[in-house]
Amino acid sequence: MSEELRVSPIETRGKTCVKRYAMVIDVRRCIGCLACQVACKAEYDTPLGVNRTWVPYRVVGKYPNVKKQFLPRLCNHCDDPPCVRNCPVGATFKVEDGGFVLQRYERCIGCRSCMAACPYNARFMLPSHRTYTPITNVVDKCTFCFHRVNENLVPACVQTCIGRARVFGDLNDPNSEVSYLVAKNATQVLRPEQGTKPHVFYIGADRNQTEFARDAYHRPEVMELERAAFKRHFKI
Amino acid sequence: MGDYVWFHDYSWHPVYSVYFFVVGILAGLSFLSYGSWLIPALRPLREKAAYGSLGLLVIGGLLLIADLSQPLRFLNVLNPAYLQFTSPLAWGALNIVAFGVFSLLYILELQKKREAALGKILAMITALLGLGLPIYTGYDLTVHQSRPMWNTPIMPVLFVALAIASGSAVGSLLAGKNQDAQRVLREFMLWSAAAVGIVLVGMLGTTSYGGSAEELTFLILTTGTMGLIFVGVGIIAGTAAPIALLFYAHLRERTTGLAFAAILILIGSAALRYALLMGPQELQTLY
Repeated sequence: MSEELRVSPIETRGKTCVKRYAMVIDVRRCIGCLACQVACKAEYDTPLGVNRTWVPYRVVGKYPNVKKQFLPRLCNHCDDPPCVRNCPVGATFKVEDGGFVLQRYERCIGCRSCMAACPYNARFMLPSHRTYTPITNVVDKCTFCFHRVNENLVPACVQTCIGRARVFGDLNDPNSEVSYLVAKNATQVLRPEQGTKPHVFYIGADRNQTEFARDAYHRPEVMELERAAFKRHFKI
Repeated sequence: MGDYVWFHDYSWHPVYSVYFFVVGILAGLSFLSYGSWLIPALRPLREKAAYGSLGLLVIGGLLLIADLSQPLRFLNVLNPAYLQFTSPLAWGALNIVAFGVFSLLYILELQKKREAALGKILAMITALLGLGLPIYTGYDLTVHQSRPMWNTPIMPVLFVALAIASGSAVGSLLAGKNQDAQRVLREFMLWSAAAVGIVLVGMLGTTSYGGSAEELTFLILTTGTMGLIFVGVGIIAGTAAPIALLFYAHLRERTTGLAFAAILILIGSAALRYALLMGPQELQTLY
């Protein structure tokens, strides 16, 4: 990777002696089983109505030749994360060695500035009613399974992916599988125009899903009806 | 159809727009209180504007704290070990505290009932700190460059114009039948409302010419319930109508006409702040 592209001091692209973890998601291999979502829920006891990773889909084609296009989503662990800049109390921070964007729960004031700053909707507010943990009413997000990666394990979603659509590794290591996949395939990142330099790369993603136009053709009233139904379903 | 969309929650809820509204009025009132040292016609408003400004600061501060999901941790924002100056919220918190301190000092000076130079200096500092409040709230939105409509650099300018308009509107209601003060406040309301209108036309125009996200945001802001609030109440009833009313108000009808225009400006500026806060978030919740 070209070092000239590093425009912010927080970025670790091409930096020596530091890891830069990334995930490559080959959507051609995703079968929409939602095992990643379930594994993540199990790993973190994420409450109902919020997710660290989620798999929206879009039905494309004309009957009888129709198919579902999946686009697994999670925090992009940006190289230049706007959420870190926007937090007034430093509750969210980037780990230089690894590039993990993490959250200090004890410091978070719940102003939701980071949620507003995230172009990917990867952050959410933990509800006040949780059974097994006192961590409530603070912002939460995917951690790239920081605790597992530190033990030389891959994230829970990667571990469980039956189609091996998710691959995890160090982009600063030229011999890693993610480096190979990014180098040899045409990859996309979500909303590259935001300059966040995401660390989640997609192979074979459809523009109808990666851009805002995904839901463009619904009238606002229809979207509101769908939103109301969604909220009723999840009691949020 | 048949798509599965994950709906995300709004980051900032409507209570934040109430805070924007309150902060705008209190900043406008602090300008009027300082203005009274420069323009003799505004002298009867000096104490009322200063007390009103401090009272609204208490309400605004409580609203801001109540909006946090961890209200008791609001002191973290004032902890030097935690403060992060890349966030506009950090600057805003310091601005609010400084404004509160100088407002209090100014009111203590006003209670001495003397026309000393110290009062004028404190009024000026309070007004300058008051100017920082709409600037920081506008900047608070502008830094979110991924959100159409918020990402325009003129958002702080719009918030300053809204603060002058709504502060002058409250001042006009406080001035009652004082014709001299009303004449000055009419000018303030007219030109600040005109500035709001011009900035909004510019923002809407550029948003409608943008990419898919901008076009969708324009659609959300101009149709349905949000369209009624933004265009109907905010732009037509709350900006265009008071401008026309203020422009054509005859001298003999001035007090009634101005009071009506002031109420319309207040309703309009509240609607605009609500729509500007919630509208651009709606699209993002679908992404």
